Amino acid sequence: MVTCTGCALLCDDIEVIVEAGRIKETKNTCLRGAGRIKGCVNRLVPSIGEQRVDVGNCIEKAAEILKNAESPMLFGFDNSTSGAQVKAVQLANKLDAIIDDTSSFCQGIMVEKVLRQEFRTCSLDDIRNKADVIIYWGSDAQDSQPRHLSRFSYFPRGEERQRGYEEDRTAIAIDVRESNTAKICKGHFYRIPLKGDRRFILALMDALSGRVPKFDGYDVQKILELSGILKKAKFGAIFAGIGLTYSIKDDAGILADLGRMLPNFHIMPMIGHYNMRGFNENLFRETGFVNSVKFGSEPVHDNRYSIAETLREKSIDVLLVAGSDPLLSLPRSIAKSLAGMQVVCIDPCVTLTSKISAVNIPAAVSGVECGGTAVRMDGKKVELSACVESGFLGDEEILGRIMEAV
Amino acid sequence: MGIDVGKFLKNPEYDIRITTYRDVFQVAALECDRWGDEFRKYSAAVFMSKIDMAKMGFKKGDRVKVSNTNGSIVVEVRETKRDEPGGIAFMVNSPWSNALVSGDTGGRGIPEFKDIRAKVSLSKDEVTGMEKLVVGN
Repeated sequence: MVTCTGCALLCDDIEVIVEAGRIKETKNTCLRGAGRIKGCVNRLVPSIGEQRVDVGNCIEKAAEILKNAESPMLFGFDNSTSGAQVKAVQLANKLDAIIDDTSSFCQGIMVEKVLRQEFRTCSLDDIRNKADVIIYWGSDAQDSQPRHLSRFSYFPRGEERQRGYEEDRTAIAIDVRESNTAKICKGHFYRIPLKGDRRFILALMDALSGRVPKFDGYDVQKILELSGILKKAKFGAIFAGIGLTYSIKDDAGILADLGRMLPNFHIMPMIGHYNMRGFNENLFRETGFVNSVKFGSEPVHDNRYSIAETLREKSIDVLLVAGSDPLLSLPRSIAKSLAGMQVVCIDPCVTLTSKISAVNIPAAVSGVECGGTAVRMDGKKVELSACVESGFLGDEEILGRIMEAV
Repeated sequence: MGIDVGKFLKNPEYDIRITTYRDVFQVAALECDRWGDEFRKYSAAVFMSKIDMAKMGFKKGDRVKVSNTNGSIVVEVRETKRDEPGGIAFMVNSPWSNALVSGDTGGRGIPEFKDIRAKVSLSKDEVTGMEKLVVGN
């Protein structure tokens, strides 16, 4: 059995068939997981500038660039093992650098609330065993965490849910579009206007308090009906998707307010990258913050240390990226500034970012070519093991060797 | 020889509001080869409701220019898989949609990936290739 690093569900029931040192077939994976385990067609080669060189030389050059940087930043690590993340935090500390991950423009707000215990949360196993009402809010799990409904939330039998989805569970989708997940939540799809989440929460809170909900243009009866379902739930879960997070990013506390009105409910951010939560926990343990931290005499958190703001303000001169592709995932209008700085890229594959990097260091695919640990979206620590020999170094070793050299 | 007047006529331009989403087929294509045709096929498209397509006179497979102050791309028009009420178009989150996203995060660090305002019009140009979306090109 292999643990899949395709998403933060870290499915541990995967079988792989290896032939001649390569993965020929995967069993039990979703499409996303199979893609991750089978790997990319274009592996990154070690290079400095246009020149292909030895990995050792790349590591030395990366260390030299970081040592000479005036304002270095380390970014990524959500597709790295927890051991690599700890090394990255240590390296940032040693360099007085900024460190951030994709959670600063993703689910960081929500994960922080979980770690600060501002949300009541639970494990995915609790959900499988007990949940009778589940809400996918701004979340299309069927496409982002494709086995979420089948392994944990809706379809499986659980200790207290032996009749499964046919009788024991109600799935609800609140979204701006009829997603694949919403399609499954037949009869319980609540279509809301774009950026209408906050108003919908307020209307739902009114209904839960016994007041007539106010939501212009919305069928009040539907909100009252939803409120009735939530009140009757014995063990409920709100899966907060990125759609909800973006919509209430300036007032995420309102979700905690709703949670307080629903004592039987638990809130869980839907995380994409397999070890984003691990990064958030590791940095939180070290600094008290989940992302966007600058080390110095003491670690400081500020949104201006987020990747989006550092690139927009051009406030860094060197960027080390591991397991992330900011040129692919950030607005082009700010990602452009990457071209004006020295970038060190650590990744298994050729990425958009690797194309403009000064130094490229190929890495092993964690969970396939190297082992380690990771943190599932619900906080469970999960062991990863290698299933093929590749000869590529893992992120942890690469970062460790850079740290020795700086 | 007559003058082709058509080429001097500007296609009508419409205001469009786009939200982004994730698609597992596109993510699988990304894992395999982010430079490949498959990834481009899943990414370089704008999905619209039948109602909006009829209003704007677009047919499935038409190429459209989508532009705003942040950037400009040419993508294919496709119909949403399910009936949508209209008023919002959809793009899978990708370098194509990111070409239209503002870098102004209001100091928050979170770009507005899910509420993009742009203009859309029919185009005869080729679908924007990934190479044009890489910085420096």
